[in-house]
Amino acid sequence: MARTPIFIICSPRPLVGKTLIGRLLTEYLLLKHGTVTAFDINLKEPSLLEFLPKVTETADVIDTYGKMQLMDRLIVNDGVPKVIDLGFHAFDEFFKMTGEIGFLKEAARRGVSPLILFVADTDRASARAFPMLQQQIPPNALVTIDNEHIVRGELPPAMGRGRVLRIAALPVFLKTYIDRLTFSFTGYLRNEKDSSTELHQWIRQNYFSFRELELNLMLQGS
Amino acid sequence: MTKPVVIVVGADKGGVGKTTVSRTLLDYFSANNVPTRAFDTESPRGTLKRFHPEITEIVDMTTTSDQMKIFDTLNAASPSVTVIDVRAGLLSPALASLRDIGFLDAAKSGQITFAVFHILGPSIASLDEIAETANFMQGAKYFLVKNFINDTQFFQWDQATYNSYFHRIKDATELTIPKLNEMAYEQVEVSSVPFLKFVANKGVNDEAANYSFVLRGYVRHWLANVWSEFDRIKLTDLVGSGKSAARGGEK
Repeated sequence: MARTPIFIICSPRPLVGKTLIGRLLTEYLLLKHGTVTAFDINLKEPSLLEFLPKVTETADVIDTYGKMQLMDRLIVNDGVPKVIDLGFHAFDEFFKMTGEIGFLKEAARRGVSPLILFVADTDRASARAFPMLQQQIPPNALVTIDNEHIVRGELPPAMGRGRVLRIAALPVFLKTYIDRLTFSFTGYLRNEKDSSTELHQWIRQNYFSFRELELNLMLQGS
Repeated sequence: MTKPVVIVVGADKGGVGKTTVSRTLLDYFSANNVPTRAFDTESPRGTLKRFHPEITEIVDMTTTSDQMKIFDTLNAASPSVTVIDVRAGLLSPALASLRDIGFLDAAKSGQITFAVFHILGPSIASLDEIAETANFMQGAKYFLVKNFINDTQFFQWDQATYNSYFHRIKDATELTIPKLNEMAYEQVEVSSVPFLKFVANKGVNDEAANYSFVLRGYVRHWLANVWSEFDRIKLTDLVGSGKSAARGGEK
């Protein structure tokens, strides 16, 4: 049976583009697989739930019950790709918990392939968080997201040594355009006749990067 | 021939986690292939027996017949280790009884290996027991077990108080049992299985169970920490069973 991918988008910092990447990735997976479940662990930031309410559920990791509700679903190899938009406030608790319960080992045993997408920033919290992730996550399951809009070409060298996925910055007017709650990336690809527009190419480039990530995951699992 | 080993787990104060520690000991010995039997003194209904029914017998330590059942069979019984979970309030009387029947002298002369796990709760009443219990500890290995049933500091923030209890007894060894996640603890309670079976996702009769992966993870992590404390005090050496490296329960 094929392995079920789980994409965990995280950062210890607010407003670094986690939800944007979560939206893109969720829409890509929905387009490719026809099904996806996203989990929104955001109480204090722009929320994935508001953009993709049909495929997104809220979750929390504040108490044990919330952790059970989330993790007991993630650990199932049901063929439905999962996306987690992990809010900055839940970052420490989430990875403390996954370390304690042996999430990665159990996932490997059960045919589930987690991929941690760490959205880089140049601040101290990110600089401290990244080595912590490196200690817990095998290099092939940890990807740094170089969001040009945030790091402006100055990705900290320590975060650039492993696998890096680059997200190009969009002009402000396009950023405002895609930030509308009703905007759909896949919908735009389908409806926009002119495939040479900047946004068209930006979406296609990111979908292509996600496809590469998925292929790598499949190759690792086989 | 291996010397018989008797481990008494007790405290005079109730609710400090005596049976929990006894259960971790039985799991530890099971994982290290040390034949063990247990006595539960919570007569007539024992909590330890509920979790380890095959190897546990309920006894009333205040009666001579049950004292005979435990101590007269030490050499004859095939398991080399006997764990006695002494119910609340009975530790001091039990140790006095052991002294009276000559058991403590036998331990002192090296015929028997005798260890006491004195479980301490986060209260002065609990710590006050140390001095009283220490009087019986000649010839025994005395372990002061700080059981973190809550977020207590065991008065470490007040060094004078801390030292007056924990540094008073020269030969006592301190042991720390970390706090287990409350829901995980309750789920194991409901399941009525040893911690090891819970971690392995098995029911009472070894059938496949469906415990929460998160709760199993918490128990596994906690049990590994407890066992690392037992490794630190070289518990398997104490019971004459050698190394504890290749046990199956930690996989």
